[in-house]
Amino acid sequence: MASGCLAKVVCSDAKHNFLVHYLLALAVILASPLLFSIRYLDSKQAAQPLEMLVPLIGIILLTPVFMPEQNESIRDVVRSKKTSYSLICLLRLLMAMAVLLSLIGAFVLYMRHCGSAVTFRHFTGSAASAAVLGAVGLFGAAVSDDTITGYMSAVIYFITNFLLKDKLGIFYIFSMSSGSFAEKKWLVLMSVILTAGTFTVRSIRN
Amino acid sequence: MNDCIIIKNVDKFYGKKQALSDISLTIEKGMFGLLGRNGAGKTTLMKTLAALHKKNSGEITVCGVPVENASEIRAMTGYLPQEFSMYPNMRTDEALDYLGALSGMPSKLRKERVESLLKRVNLTEHRRKKVKELSGGMKRRLGIAQAIIHDPKVLIVDEPTAGLDPEERIRFRNLLCELAEDRIVLLSTHIVGDVEATCEKIAVMDSGRILWKGTVSELIENARGHVYTANVEKRFLPQLKKEYIVTGMLAQNDYTTVRIVSDPEPDLPNTVQTEPDLEGAYMYCLHSSGCDVTGGEDI
Amino acid sequence: MIFFKDCKRIARSMTYLIYCVIVALFFFTQYFSDCRTEVGPPFGETKAVEDHDLIMSGAALSLAEDYFANLYICYPFGFYKSVTLNEKKQEVIEDALTEMTGLSMEELTKLRDNAEHYTSYDGLHEYNGYIIDSVPVSSSLTYDRFLEIMKKVNKTLGGGSSYKPDDLIFKFSQVPMTKEEALEEYDNFTNKDRVTGALARLFSDYTGIDAAILPVFVAAALTSEDRRRRMSDLVYSRKISSFRLVFTRYAALITAMFLPLLITMIIAQIQAVSIYGSNISMTALFTLPSFWLVPNIMEAAAVGMLFTELFSGGTAVIVQFLSWFLSLLTGSGQLYGKIRSFTLICRHNTVFGRDIFMTYHSQFVFNRIFYIVFSLAMVTLTVFVYETKRRGAFNGIRLFGKGSLLRRKA
Repeated sequence: MASGCLAKVVCSDAKHNFLVHYLLALAVILASPLLFSIRYLDSKQAAQPLEMLVPLIGIILLTPVFMPEQNESIRDVVRSKKTSYSLICLLRLLMAMAVLLSLIGAFVLYMRHCGSAVTFRHFTGSAASAAVLGAVGLFGAAVSDDTITGYMSAVIYFITNFLLKDKLGIFYIFSMSSGSFAEKKWLVLMSVILTAGTFTVRSIRN
Repeated sequence: MNDCIIIKNVDKFYGKKQALSDISLTIEKGMFGLLGRNGAGKTTLMKTLAALHKKNSGEITVCGVPVENASEIRAMTGYLPQEFSMYPNMRTDEALDYLGALSGMPSKLRKERVESLLKRVNLTEHRRKKVKELSGGMKRRLGIAQAIIHDPKVLIVDEPTAGLDPEERIRFRNLLCELAEDRIVLLSTHIVGDVEATCEKIAVMDSGRILWKGTVSELIENARGHVYTANVEKRFLPQLKKEYIVTGMLAQNDYTTVRIVSDPEPDLPNTVQTEPDLEGAYMYCLHSSGCDVTGGEDI
Repeated sequence: MIFFKDCKRIARSMTYLIYCVIVALFFFTQYFSDCRTEVGPPFGETKAVEDHDLIMSGAALSLAEDYFANLYICYPFGFYKSVTLNEKKQEVIEDALTEMTGLSMEELTKLRDNAEHYTSYDGLHEYNGYIIDSVPVSSSLTYDRFLEIMKKVNKTLGGGSSYKPDDLIFKFSQVPMTKEEALEEYDNFTNKDRVTGALARLFSDYTGIDAAILPVFVAAALTSEDRRRRMSDLVYSRKISSFRLVFTRYAALITAMFLPLLITMIIAQIQAVSIYGSNISMTALFTLPSFWLVPNIMEAAAVGMLFTELFSGGTAVIVQFLSWFLSLLTGSGQLYGKIRSFTLICRHNTVFGRDIFMTYHSQFVFNRIFYIVFSLAMVTLTVFVYETKRRGAFNGIRLFGKGSLLRRKA
């Protein structure tokens, strides 16, 4: 019974609050082949689109997880219900992650189909970069209680990567393009910490 | 004792600012009114009762359940915030269904309740409208419907009638009264008329404290002998407002009849002691507790 | 005065605070740390020279090799793109090759057969490559005609190829600097540029990247604040004209966002004096960067205001991010040299190369003035949008939902 309710809530949420974001992420993925070729790329070349463009969908998908309740009165109504609000947000986050992983997965498979030298590590690497960009956005939005600031922090993180390059060390999200996969596990760790931090900040504030 | 809210010595701080101080109340089945000015702490108290805010000290039990047990508390309370809103893109019936699901109701029951509630709050013909397309009154009705969808034992409504037109307001009050027949309904307002029309028991709050608690008639009785009417010339009015609490004015040809709340008998011509009304009683209650309620500057 | 009130409002906003922090961060990690040591003559570096013979023979050879492999490497949006042509398009390249070399296809094929042959495997796909020693350049080929051919070739390849006329000089005409040339570059640095003139270009190059994107956030946040705080109606009903209101806000935004840049310029000047002594230009680090960077701030802020009024803050951010991203990627192959008339982000990532910068100086000036005018046009448009909203005739364009742009047709 309870699980049926949660399923209803998640579906309804996805339909009314996040469908636009899912579609936008899909559009970014579909538009990628127009910007660059994905045929017959070697491992490093294949990493470029997977690190510089595809991870942007992380910002689109993860940053707005708390957005529907940015309005305080909506938040009060939702929080006054039996089902824990944190649980709802967690489910939304998982849902967004599922969409993110399947989009990136499909894209990587398509690249493979087109003859590029992509491996499973390309998939995890791209997903790690996407997750960390999204987690930065999520954290920024939750702390400031303002989605624009959330997007801003994620975009700035992206720009910082562009400008400072491997000076960023373990926080460098374009490492795969220069052949290094070692940074990715740190990115995953950082996403987990930021996400946990976001939930902690939110629950303390409430 | 199992169907009442018991509040004992509750304190709540926002940073250094004390929002609730030493609140103790027992609220039983029926309609209970919280009366107070804006910023008196009514909303904070209600949010604390709905387990949306944590208190700093003291004890609260709702129907025997301590308020710390948030999930259980939320399962048996319905809450309507001061300014109800919902995801703007959802349709009215979807929003209700969604919030019912959040309350953990099985889908069959939800369907029935959504139907009957839409009918009860007169929204059946607007059920396909999106929330953002509803008028203020319709939104408020959707708000009350979502608060009672899971048939809660306790209903908490924060200033439910603010901004409604008189007709809507009366309908809303009647609905609340019906609901109060078999549950606790806690209502906050700064509009005395609402309390007068609906509540048996009330508490008056100001700056985080409970100034007074009891029945409406007790509050009125309390003010007996402190409400006066007088006829004054218009030019004295500004002066009068500075010195006394003026609760009503009726302009005649060359003088004005004023209602005054005052401890000692005011030193004015033609002063007559009159029967206190709830508004005057409320003002007297604030005044006698040391709140500054004089009219202040003339605008 | 409302100008100062707006400045205060901006200064107190979260986005502006982040703006300042990021400007400082990029300044110290990039320009400041790059310039910590004294610059010497660039011995052993290469330089691009406009040697027509070198360019033509290099391009002809490269094109012949690419043609026989039928594998052309392009970077249309800064991303790697390998292009393989169909027969019809290969014929276009054939024509170009025969005209450039003056050889027939048979003769060219003979050259290929004598060349070293290798097969290359790029992960999953195998292709044939040839290393040809050299191909002749037709004696009747003028440089202008050559450029026309290259333009056609580049177009056939879908753009972004090595044969893009603007980039030829950097691809095929890089020669090692002689000692004299290196000393001359150094002389340019110390005497013509008086040190800070050259440093100013590097400073502007680095700062231009963040100045082209960050202001959009501050502008979007300020513009959407009225709506978010439900202040619109209050502001709308005031006496002040839309024109004055919008332009005062815009001026406040530019002033507020220029201030941190000015501070970094002062720090850069102090750093330069401490390294090179006081016999350097005291103004160059202020004049050139101001002229270079203010148009970027103006453009980003104007996009922020216009698109936030028209659609939403999010849209403004997306629009500016896209133009910034594409401008950065398309220019990423070449960090200094030609500045084109319409590129958003001008690059010159070196303290040398004064000559080449001066060669394209008039285009640079045109570029910057264009962006100033373009920004002011966008702000004027914002005034009109604001005015129509104020009169209640228009409430912003909604992309989704009832009566929105995307549903109106249905």
